[in-house]
Amino acid sequence: MKRIRDTGLTLLCILLGCLVLFPVFYGLMGAFKTPAEFIAYPPTVLPASFLHTDNFRAVFTQVPMLRYFLNSFIVAASSTVIRLVLAVFAAYAFVFFDFRGKKTLFFLLLGTMMLPADTVIITNYQTVSRLGLLDTYLGMGIVSFVGASQMFMLRQQFMMSPRPLREAALMDGCGDMRFIVSILTPLCMPALATLFLQSFIAQWNAYLWPLLVTNTNAMRTVQVGITMLTTIEGTNYEMVLAASAVAMVPAAVLFLALRRQITRSLSGGALVG
Amino acid sequence: MSERVKKAAKPYLFLLPMVVFAVGFVYYPFLKTAAQSVSNVNFRGEITGFAGWENYRYLFSRREFSIALGNTLRLALINVPVTLVITVFLAFLCAPVRRGHTVYETMLTLPMAVSMASITLVFKVLLNPSVGYLNYVLGLNIGWYEDRHTAMAGILMLTVWMGIGFNFLLFLSAFRSIPPDILGSAELDGAGKFRTLFAIQLPLISPTVLYVLCTNMIQAMMTSGPILILTQGGPSRSTLTMIYLMYTAGYSSANYSLAACVSIVTFLLTLTCTLILFLMERKRVHYQ
Repeated sequence: MKRIRDTGLTLLCILLGCLVLFPVFYGLMGAFKTPAEFIAYPPTVLPASFLHTDNFRAVFTQVPMLRYFLNSFIVAASSTVIRLVLAVFAAYAFVFFDFRGKKTLFFLLLGTMMLPADTVIITNYQTVSRLGLLDTYLGMGIVSFVGASQMFMLRQQFMMSPRPLREAALMDGCGDMRFIVSILTPLCMPALATLFLQSFIAQWNAYLWPLLVTNTNAMRTVQVGITMLTTIEGTNYEMVLAASAVAMVPAAVLFLALRRQITRSLSGGALVG
Repeated sequence: MSERVKKAAKPYLFLLPMVVFAVGFVYYPFLKTAAQSVSNVNFRGEITGFAGWENYRYLFSRREFSIALGNTLRLALINVPVTLVITVFLAFLCAPVRRGHTVYETMLTLPMAVSMASITLVFKVLLNPSVGYLNYVLGLNIGWYEDRHTAMAGILMLTVWMGIGFNFLLFLSAFRSIPPDILGSAELDGAGKFRTLFAIQLPLISPTVLYVLCTNMIQAMMTSGPILILTQGGPSRSTLTMIYLMYTAGYSSANYSLAACVSIVTFLLTLTCTLILFLMERKRVHYQ
């Protein structure tokens, strides 16, 4: 009895999963359609043939899609690395040192979460423009170097690592940097991997800021580039879908590959908050 | 430098990089935005004089401001509870570990990895009145993003969808962190599944509920991407939101003081939400 009910519930959950993923599926399938299939009535979900790859070819030839990919990758990877390095340093200071102004500085950094990035986007645009960083990778990444929630989670992680461990290491003549690099970070690898993944996906998918600070085609990120397609003359639905498919695949693959880590560290309570 | 000074300076050195960027790209722009909102600002972004409340008075008198404010609040107040109910329900269904659970868990969390731009373009086609699949399936003939009565509903479908993945994951792990013996004893006492949900599980996961409410509320108030890509605030301002208004005032028209006012008002809105939710927490939330 219980087994039958469990199977039923599993099927129900899978059905709901299909329902949720339907837009994604519809988009991926539509990318293989011909223009004629698209205007046919009644509309279909599945394409007549998966061998029709004109749309993908068009996406890569009509716009510099590979360049967009490179831009997105450079910005997302470098700003995520810098964000995590800064967060590791800050968390390290908060966990392993006692110093004046510790509480104040902690709340100063945590307080950045109260100020949504989108509300200061125009003034940051002015700053970046004055620094001459418009249309540069640094300009695109610089506003996301501060990750207060990452700092907070790393702090929780570091607090779990035994303090005597550091004292013993320092006793043996290990410097702070070496302690961080060869002892502390390996200990917190699962959490760091998750934070990296989350942050990378967020940066990869960022839209408003990269749109603001880039003004040449060669510096556009994938997300900005694909929406530009809709303004190019002769763009049709199936091409728009092919572009969106191309843009969603890397983050989705990365997510699927590392999904276990995310859920594990989440259920460990490391990511809640 | 003596050893002692070096040692005392060490924690500050570790903190310095993050503090520099926090000040430079969060606090400084915030204070500058606040200053610009009460000043006359030229098109280069330089403050040329003090304006007092004049900018705000001008903003509040504009029709588009009240429309943007109304739309933003409406969007947030519908989006947040709908997303909450959907994701709590999904997580509740998926919480017991059954055979093949990774399959549907993966499916339901995947939306968190899909980019806003991608899924927005998909919705643009999916909700297209002539070739889109949604109208066909529902037997409707609605213009969705082209009709001012339905454009916001179309945006809401999209934003609710975008919130599913991460919130589901948070609720799932919250449900799973409830000690099984609590649920077991409830079952022994003859409590039904839904009774257990409302009387035991929900109170126990209320910290997560509060967290999700807070972050979703703020996120919903920041909605701008789908608007930029799909509707540009239209048709006839029916999807004009605060951040989109700020974007057009500041970026397209270089009216920085007006953009600053919009941004400060939006910030105060999010702050109010956070404070209200935290006051509610004091009363209701049970910590395990």
